[in-house]
Amino acid sequence: MELLWMIATVLFLYSSLSFLWKAFDCRRNQNCYLLDYVCYKPSDDRKLSTELCSDVIKRNKRLSMPDYKFLLKVVVNSGISEETYGPRSIIEGREESPTLDDCDDEVDDCMHSTLDELFHRTGISPGDVDVLVVNISMFAPAPSLTSRIVNRYKMREDVKTFNLSGMGCSASPIAIDLVNNVFETRKRTLAVVITSESIAPNWYCGTDKSMMLGNCLFRSGGCSFMLTNDPSLKHRAKMRLKCLVRAHSGANDDAYSCAMQNEDTDGRVGFHLSKSLPKVAVRAFTENLQALAPKVLPVGELALYVIRGLRHRLRRSKETKAYAGTAVRVNFKSGVEHFCLHTGGAAVIDAVGSALGLNKYDVEPARMTLHRWGNTSASSLWYVLGYMEAKKRLRRKDRVLMLSFGAGFKCNSCLWEVLRDLEDGGAWEDSIQAYPPQSLVNPFMDKFGWVNEA
Amino acid sequence: MPRAPLPEFSSSVKLKYVKLGYQYLVNNFVTLLLIPVMAAVYLELVRMGPEEIMGLWRSLRLDLIQILCSFFVIIFAATVYLTSRPQPVYLVDYACFKPPTTCRVPFSTFMEHTRLISSDEKSVRFQMRILERSGLGEETCLPPANHYIPPRPTMEASRAETQLVIFSAIDDLVRKTGLRPKDIDILVVNCSLFSPTPSLSAMIINKYKLRSNVRSFNLSGMGCSAGLISVDLARDLLQVHRSSNALVVSTEIITPNFYAGNQRSMLLPNCLFRMGAAAILLSNRRRDARRAKYRLVHVVRTHKGADDRAYRCVYQEEDAEGHSGISLSKDLMAIAGEALKSNITTIGPLVLPMSEQLLFFLTLVGRKLINPKWKPYIPDFKLAFEHFCIHAGGRAVIDELQKNLELSAEHVEASRMTLHRFGNTSSSSLWYELNYIESKGRMRRGDRVWQIGFGSGFKCNSAVWKCLRTVKTPVDGPWSDCIDRYPVDIPEIVRL
Repeated sequence: MELLWMIATVLFLYSSLSFLWKAFDCRRNQNCYLLDYVCYKPSDDRKLSTELCSDVIKRNKRLSMPDYKFLLKVVVNSGISEETYGPRSIIEGREESPTLDDCDDEVDDCMHSTLDELFHRTGISPGDVDVLVVNISMFAPAPSLTSRIVNRYKMREDVKTFNLSGMGCSASPIAIDLVNNVFETRKRTLAVVITSESIAPNWYCGTDKSMMLGNCLFRSGGCSFMLTNDPSLKHRAKMRLKCLVRAHSGANDDAYSCAMQNEDTDGRVGFHLSKSLPKVAVRAFTENLQALAPKVLPVGELALYVIRGLRHRLRRSKETKAYAGTAVRVNFKSGVEHFCLHTGGAAVIDAVGSALGLNKYDVEPARMTLHRWGNTSASSLWYVLGYMEAKKRLRRKDRVLMLSFGAGFKCNSCLWEVLRDLEDGGAWEDSIQAYPPQSLVNPFMDKFGWVNEA
Repeated sequence: MPRAPLPEFSSSVKLKYVKLGYQYLVNNFVTLLLIPVMAAVYLELVRMGPEEIMGLWRSLRLDLIQILCSFFVIIFAATVYLTSRPQPVYLVDYACFKPPTTCRVPFSTFMEHTRLISSDEKSVRFQMRILERSGLGEETCLPPANHYIPPRPTMEASRAETQLVIFSAIDDLVRKTGLRPKDIDILVVNCSLFSPTPSLSAMIINKYKLRSNVRSFNLSGMGCSAGLISVDLARDLLQVHRSSNALVVSTEIITPNFYAGNQRSMLLPNCLFRMGAAAILLSNRRRDARRAKYRLVHVVRTHKGADDRAYRCVYQEEDAEGHSGISLSKDLMAIAGEALKSNITTIGPLVLPMSEQLLFFLTLVGRKLINPKWKPYIPDFKLAFEHFCIHAGGRAVIDELQKNLELSAEHVEASRMTLHRFGNTSSSSLWYELNYIESKGRMRRGDRVWQIGFGSGFKCNSAVWKCLRTVKTPVDGPWSDCIDRYPVDIPEIVRL
């Protein structure tokens, strides 16, 4: 009897200690801290006003009057201001035949200015960087952009570089996922991620309408941010990564081909956006939310959702007409305070906002980012975050959800926890006072408003 | 007056045995030390006799609690040790793309096309000279778009080539391993010079209907050594995600990269790069350990990009007429040698037996303190590896590495024959070479393989694999129909 008692005690001690050890082991290197981020602010001579856009469109002699009207209509109604930036090659008239130097210069300008500032602000030297990730979807020269940075900043020989390409507008969470995984295998590691998009080599000079939208909406932008899993740097970090969810609906043919780089009938390469894009986006979005909700929402909200769902189903079976078509909403605001939505376009922001049950205050950062910077592709999430920080909305213990969509079709999201009250102006420093403006309507409505008629 | 250099001892036969004895002594030092200790214990036990031994045992006065506690401590320590070790990464199997015979580009075809496309007689003759000395054979293949006069590098043709090479390799891998696409947890694709949106990883997800929560990454622009970068990334992911598998696809798409100009430094890729792809299945599942071919031991990455010369030696640029191409500088060999040396300083201590490390260390100390004219000791990597897969970048690269590492012709045979049969297939060449060694029936259980890749940046990456089961011939792969003809003698210059 005593023997049995002793064996039971020993087994119990063993299992509890094993469990504690496993839990401790898991937590040791798992935290991913965001030390700082710097959004790219191009020089003022690269601003693309509506007038300038109109001139650029007119330069394409292949376009007919209806095409010109259509494009101008898109630009005028896009919710994009006169302050957004474009690459020099387009402003200087070389949009149809950009040289490799133009592409290199565009990318160098962004990477170098943001990295210089990032290293300066964090006080960390490039020689201390262990992991370097660059994601620029539509430009991948040899040697890679990561090598370009290693060369310029004279990084160490054992730096782990990864050059992600072709991963679309939702590549920021993918880069974070990569770094997070590397962090779990090494201690005290420092990572730098640069996310941007290359516009100069991808200007579409044909007449296919589905490919011209990209020309109107994409603008120059980028961001460099520094991540670490070193607990000794926690006091300097801005945010901590809580979870990350990736959903890829590429298995579905519609989803795969809805946003695709292709040649048109004349052989010109452009970025085709199909009409089924909204439907595909909704499906990918739902998939992502289904995986995200249990990780983000408090238990109470999840329980409420289940109860509401059951009630809804019971009611539906009794009164089919009244409840058909309605869906049970989850209140994401119970688990998240701030929403960084990808600025794919005004329609995208509104649709996502209404699906998540957000009000005007919640979507304001995304709308204002679209207005001030345009669609900067993968880096847009960081401009939205910058707006929130400049408006002093980010307080300690707040949770920030970053949500983006991209070609493939992917919907990626990540949840951050703010570690201290954040107040940097960043790229919004000089313009934040003017936001939100009285009206988002294009100031040239009187001049170009005729495109909306007929 | 300088002292006479030390005579060449290594050629002396007697010294060879001294060296062997020294290696045996140092590498088995611990075992050799244990033998006298064990002998002493045994002798003592024999002397004591059985009653004394029982008396000794009883005097320890072990009671139940102490036994259980020590038992518990041992088991607990063992569990902690086992769970905190890095998870082993197994290579279950891999498949290489075998180009169709219709894509073959024998020398005559290549030269005929070149003469018809290029107006510059000098650059035509230059390309002919390159081809003569290249070490390529008559069976290398270019994609269909490059068979047009002039080649048609459209995006549609590039996608078609991608689908041809990648899907063939993956289909082959699925057939060999019984892999179900829905089971793939991680997907890493690397292709340096073709990166459409959506990415090639999305193309694979679409074709094979992979799960929506597959972790996919698409690496681009990373050069001929990107295959090992993908393996490194897959390994890191497999350390984090238990009981998972990873599909790594390495390829280089030739279609969009035809150089249409006349600058000599940029004509080399046209002559050397050929179609190829490889699909590799990695896993950390215990059940796959039984059927896996190899286990990944080390991956070491070295990036020499901080040095401007190294960074510029393989560089994409536009020539004076605006044609885009990859320019290879004349220092390429020297830079490759330096990059290899840096890589070796990291990988050496991980793989070399103690005898070599000690010799290297002593020579280093000797050079610093005693006489700087001592020849630097090149560790004998043949003691650490049975097989070498050197990136088939070109004949000169293989020659340079053979010289630097003091390898015999048989060690570099896989690289030379791959260059001859398939050309420079960039990141997938290492897998063709591995398949050659297997097809020749040389891969035995316990053999260690060293894969060395070089690429733009300038990077030198190494991977070390250990063979888990003897690979029986005939091997199903790209060499199956021609392995009996190999090795062939490749002349210095093939007169065209």
